[in-house]
Amino acid sequence: MKKTILSMALLLTIGLLYAQKKTTTSATISFDATTAIDALPKAENKTVIASLDTKSGKLAFESTVKSFTFSNPKIQEHFNNKGWMNSDQYPIASFTGEISNLSVVKFNKDGVYNVIVNGELTLHGVTKKVETTAIFTISGKAINAAANFSIKLDDYDVKGGAILAGKVSKEPTILVSADF
Amino acid sequence: MEFYKRHKKWFIVLFVLTFAICLSIWYLFNLKHNDTVDVKADFTVNALAFIKEFQQDMTSANKKYSEKIIVVNGNISAIELADTTTNIKMIDTTNNSFIIFAFQQQHLTEAKMMQIGDRVSIKGSCSNGAFSNILETEYITFKRCGVNK
Repeated sequence: MKKTILSMALLLTIGLLYAQKKTTTSATISFDATTAIDALPKAENKTVIASLDTKSGKLAFESTVKSFTFSNPKIQEHFNNKGWMNSDQYPIASFTGEISNLSVVKFNKDGVYNVIVNGELTLHGVTKKVETTAIFTISGKAINAAANFSIKLDDYDVKGGAILAGKVSKEPTILVSADF
Repeated sequence: MEFYKRHKKWFIVLFVLTFAICLSIWYLFNLKHNDTVDVKADFTVNALAFIKEFQQDMTSANKKYSEKIIVVNGNISAIELADTTTNIKMIDTTNNSFIIFAFQQQHLTEAKMMQIGDRVSIKGSCSNGAFSNILETEYITFKRCGVNK
């Protein structure tokens, strides 16, 4: 009986030590929506929540829209207003998806791995399917996931005056990075 | 020349207006955030009581605190690297709800010197409180933080 309890406790401990779901609350997302006539619309958020399941390849991100910091306070105000992100009504941007070629990543072997990520991005209350390439860098127990892609603001019903006037790029580039 | 003399007043008005518009545009484009530490705080709160307020009514807490400058007093529960910067966390260990502070560039050194368990007073701009579907808990994010003097 004692042996059984001991074995179960050991299995549970090993299971917890090698838990496959890794999380962070300090992932970063930055975007660049600058244009030839306005160099100000770019910002970053360094308090993004992210999770990675190394067994299933499931990946998720959650970002508070108001946490994006701009160098210029006026642009930040416009960004959160109704004409752009309307962050009072849509306070969170999120992504849920998975690595479609998970078998290429050896989480127990240092290296740089190129993966394909498929999932759904929710922004401004609109959810769209997205696919992008990402780079996983494994170094010891540390995992860094990084992706660089662009989206069409029109797809997410973001159509403010500044966007139509060409002051904000209609297809901003987005850089995501998470250390697990 | 005669035309200029006759309309001199209007030329001056036009010049002053153009100058004022250019100055306003220059001012708006070159605006920067103030150092948060020098900004008067709207509220001073205790970390755990602050988390509890969001847990009890997220909507009204967001209305009250979002985009306000707040001084939060509490103990550091975790320190996380975020790219090249450092984030500080205060966690309610009874339910894992937390506050996370991202520091202003000029205050990053202060954040890097902090230790887990330190009693600190952090001043920052409260972004929002929300429920995390990933972590299944409430969290509150702060931006442009510094150590309260």
